[in-house]
Amino acid sequence: MHVITLRAQGIAKHFGVVRALDGVDFDVHGGEVHALLGENGAGKSTLLSVLAGVHAPTAGSIEFDGEPYAPRNPLDAVRAGIVTIHQELCSSPDLTVEQNIVLGREPRVRRRGLRALVDRARVRELAEQALERIGASVAPTARVADLGPSERQLVEIARALAFDVRVLVLDEPTSSLTAVEVERLFAVLESLRADGRAIVYVSHFLEEVMLIADRFTVLRDGRTVGSGKVAGAEIGGIVELMAGRRLDEVYPPKRERARSDGSSIVFDVREVVGKSLPREARFSLGRGEILGVFGLVGAGRTELLRALIGLDPARRRIISVSSDRDVLLGGGPREALAHGIGFASEDRKDEGLALDLTIAQNITLSGLERHARFGFVRSSSVREASERCADAFDVRRASTEQAVGRLSGGNQQKVALARLLHEEANVWLLDEPTRGIDVASKSEIYRRIHSLANDGASFVVVSSYVPELLGICDRIAVMHRGVLAQSRAACDWTEHELIEVAARGVDRRAVQDRASEVDQ
Amino acid sequence: MVNPSSSGPRPTGAIRRLVTVAVSFACIALGTACSPSPDKTGTGNGAKVRRIAVIPKGTTHEFWKSIHAGALAAGRELGVEVLWQGPIKEDDRNAQIDVVESFLAKKVDGIVIAPLDDKALARPLREASEAGIPVVIIDSDVAWDGRKSFIATDNYKGGALCADALATKLGGKGKVAMLRYIEGSASTEKRERGFLEGMANNHPDIKIVSSNQRGGATTASAVSASETLLGRFGDLQGVFCPNESVTFGMLRALQDSGKAGSIVLVGFDASPKLVEGLAKREIEALAIQDPVKMGELGVRRIVDVLEGRDVPARIDTGVTLVTADSMKEPANARLLDPDLSILDK
Amino acid sequence: MTSGSILRALRPCIGLAIVLTVFALHPQAEGFLSVFNFKIVANQTVIVGLAAIGATFVIVSGGIDLSVGSIIALSSVVCALVLRAEYGVTLAMVSAIIAGCVCGLVNGLMITMLRIAPFVATLGMLGIARGAAKWISGEQKVDVPPAALESGGLQAWMSNRPDPEWLWFSPGVWTTILLALIAAYVLRRSVFGIHVTAIGSNEKTARLCGIRIERTKIAIYSIAGACAGLAGFMLCARLTVGNPTAALGKELDVIAAVVIGGASLAGGQGGVLGSMLGALMMAFLASGCKMTGSATYVQEILIGTIIVVAVSVDVLQRRRA
Repeated sequence: MHVITLRAQGIAKHFGVVRALDGVDFDVHGGEVHALLGENGAGKSTLLSVLAGVHAPTAGSIEFDGEPYAPRNPLDAVRAGIVTIHQELCSSPDLTVEQNIVLGREPRVRRRGLRALVDRARVRELAEQALERIGASVAPTARVADLGPSERQLVEIARALAFDVRVLVLDEPTSSLTAVEVERLFAVLESLRADGRAIVYVSHFLEEVMLIADRFTVLRDGRTVGSGKVAGAEIGGIVELMAGRRLDEVYPPKRERARSDGSSIVFDVREVVGKSLPREARFSLGRGEILGVFGLVGAGRTELLRALIGLDPARRRIISVSSDRDVLLGGGPREALAHGIGFASEDRKDEGLALDLTIAQNITLSGLERHARFGFVRSSSVREASERCADAFDVRRASTEQAVGRLSGGNQQKVALARLLHEEANVWLLDEPTRGIDVASKSEIYRRIHSLANDGASFVVVSSYVPELLGICDRIAVMHRGVLAQSRAACDWTEHELIEVAARGVDRRAVQDRASEVDQ
Repeated sequence: MVNPSSSGPRPTGAIRRLVTVAVSFACIALGTACSPSPDKTGTGNGAKVRRIAVIPKGTTHEFWKSIHAGALAAGRELGVEVLWQGPIKEDDRNAQIDVVESFLAKKVDGIVIAPLDDKALARPLREASEAGIPVVIIDSDVAWDGRKSFIATDNYKGGALCADALATKLGGKGKVAMLRYIEGSASTEKRERGFLEGMANNHPDIKIVSSNQRGGATTASAVSASETLLGRFGDLQGVFCPNESVTFGMLRALQDSGKAGSIVLVGFDASPKLVEGLAKREIEALAIQDPVKMGELGVRRIVDVLEGRDVPARIDTGVTLVTADSMKEPANARLLDPDLSILDK
Repeated sequence: MTSGSILRALRPCIGLAIVLTVFALHPQAEGFLSVFNFKIVANQTVIVGLAAIGATFVIVSGGIDLSVGSIIALSSVVCALVLRAEYGVTLAMVSAIIAGCVCGLVNGLMITMLRIAPFVATLGMLGIARGAAKWISGEQKVDVPPAALESGGLQAWMSNRPDPEWLWFSPGVWTTILLALIAAYVLRRSVFGIHVTAIGSNEKTARLCGIRIERTKIAIYSIAGACAGLAGFMLCARLTVGNPTAALGKELDVIAAVVIGGASLAGGQGGVLGSMLGALMMAFLASGCKMTGSATYVQEILIGTIIVVAVSVDVLQRRRA
């Protein structure tokens, strides 16, 4: 059997004086999954852009299937059979699944004079074939906008198959998927591998990499610093290779704290019902407590946080922010902020941060009035406060006047969190606080959360990444179809158990018991 | 993280490129525009040539081209330079004031202008006059008595003439409509008034069913206004339109509805299309002004002023009513199809 | 200030310098560089300039206002009507500003309460305000009575020869300069201004940060309307006529000035002083074209080209940054 090979040698890519790539060697064969690893800024994205024909390399050569490969544009790359599926899925949401699958190479009606028309029967056939091959049960006529992220991803893979992909490049494919969906994705990848196709797999989740990949290559500062077979390699070794220095444990040491008693409860959610989600949720948060919320995509975890902060309208919302009085939060985020409730969005590029604005502006945006006199902002005061908050989260920056869009993902996330510090929030609602950021930044954020909690701040952390929840939370609750079940101490959960409950939904009785207690 | 200072040198390159591109663009555009440069005559031995600004209400209508031709011819004969500049947006009073002011800054020797507004142009023209630049008004009057002369068609008389022609054709009785031009145009308002009063005084059996609709500034708006009017008054027997664009709009609407020829149309001013309609008897009569003469007299009188001669305060350039039968007469043929060849030189 | 934003601010200056240089060197544009012409051009910039101050806020917030031209016409008619009723120049100015502000307020309410896209809401206002102008004027231009035009009256606001002489520019020009400086400071330094920028940069983030988006937007469009209203007053002062068909298509000149001045229609970028330079540049270009005797179409093509060049340079800079 002919085995295709994509081999890149000595690839360099300079943007002006910035050396994004500076000597990368990398190869992938048909029938294998090759993991491309590295912290943010190591050059993975640039390497993918070079492979996808977005950037031409400054130096070095690529050979594909025995021929020199130098795509001039993304279409060249796709024509050659190298398809990249990005972290931010780029399908056209207003088109249907089948239209997305054939987009750019729509089969035409063969009759003369009608060639401008799309052959819809053939489109259906192609789409169904491609979907069937990866075992995706997605209706070809569904609008992509109505699909969840994991289904969208399957559509993207089906689209790659329709283009007769030979090298499939996946950039952070699992960052928005739940464990179940990850398993389904891995099954699809296994079948593609068995089919003789080459897969380049970029991920921060080393545990996943150990499961799916055959070989790995580690980039650091634009160079290849190591590669090898996954079998026999150890996560610790790879992490050190990526960081270029010895890391302590990624997760901070376990906190010594007792289950909070009633007197120190600072955030008591008696009831919150959203327009569709969440359907039922009640929980309380003690001073200095970290509550984790796990669940599948679509279970309503994000909606829960958004309803709490008032970003989405809620049908009913009874929250007490201190033990003595009930607050009916009716207004938007402004009112929540006034009560010391802060929120960090899961989508930092689209919602969490204004990328064009500076670090200082992003940090102080929610509390500018504090720096104003007669409606005009005192810049010295803004600078001082933003420097302090940025320092607290160790945002690596040239100055706080830098545009946030130019920071790495990890540093952007730190800015988003530093805003809550500036708000002086005492209840932090964090939605996927470490999505798509590098190990070192993650670790710093975990440590910072712990130290803030030790100083008395309380946290609700929504995450799809089980080890993270187990690693930093005091208690964990699972959300299933809009209903938040009662929490348990983190040490009472196992990874397997969490995924089970999230998928099947138990502990329902416990919730009902409490409900009858509260209703009068 | 990207050090912001590192991005310094590159945008400078972009700026440099912008400068090159923009300069070349500007030079090319101006170069081509100026190649048919303003008419210069008699630039013999360095004698300073008088520069006369001629400012129309717009530049695209046939009427203004005729005025341009007349002004150029007079300028050539008298050895003065004619600067022709219209407002960038037609029927924009503000834009015409801009034009007057830039000629003021350019210090021309005299201004011949067809003011878009009788009030709005008064201030800038007074300022010109105070700066020693004499002003002659053509086509429409202005509410300012400092003008040296007012050279125009007697529009009121023209309107009354049209009323007579329409009434005669209809045998002294019937239903007619008048479609006005835009608000605030003095010359067409006089025609409209002349027409209405002419009808009321001399033809009492003619009923005017509509006289408050407006054709607007463009041909397109005139066509739709005409269609609406024709649709609303099905039993209309005659229509009067007070200028070229409205007459043309009405003609198009009549042709489209198959009523051309059966509804008596009397219009004002000429253009090739209107002359064609006249020949086919789709238009009963056209009131023709003499714009060539207007342009010519405008330049002549301003030169008279500059050379210290007296000029009459009011000059009527006359209105001629042309029908299909009289259109071939040489004097009328010149009015219907003025010689504009001087503009191409 | 980062080097990028300095360059952005410099761009309209360079454009203006180019226009000035080209016409200064042009043999047929004598008098172009004269002090008198500069006064005239400054005066001619007032109407677009005033409207562009408000439009800058709108565009920086990621919106658009297509109703500017109609609002200018409406408020010029309002101004003339108030003068005709012999209420005096000050009250006429206040009425014109209020008329504009009300239109802007309605724009803001449509955008926030009815959730209509700014393009559509202000397109509606473009028709409504123009129609209202024709309605209240009885489809006629409204002449300002001679009493209001006597010395120190309405005309003094936009006179090329201001009284007293040492003012040098007309009061209209000084008003524009003063307002532009205040607005520039407000946009850069005030809580309101930074909120405007934040909404334009990323509305979702602004909402998350507890910014009162609806209230801010209503304020933005009201300010834009008030600026257009003041521009309408200045137009009335210049024409001595309230004209319901005036300023047709002026909104596009205003948007062009703001865009040439460095603003991005995507929001989050732009400044008032840049917009002023953009407006000044267009006025000088128009003046130069008239002086060189270029046909009007040359001017139109040039302005169109400049808009495209200005924006493409911006895109180029961003891509490289």
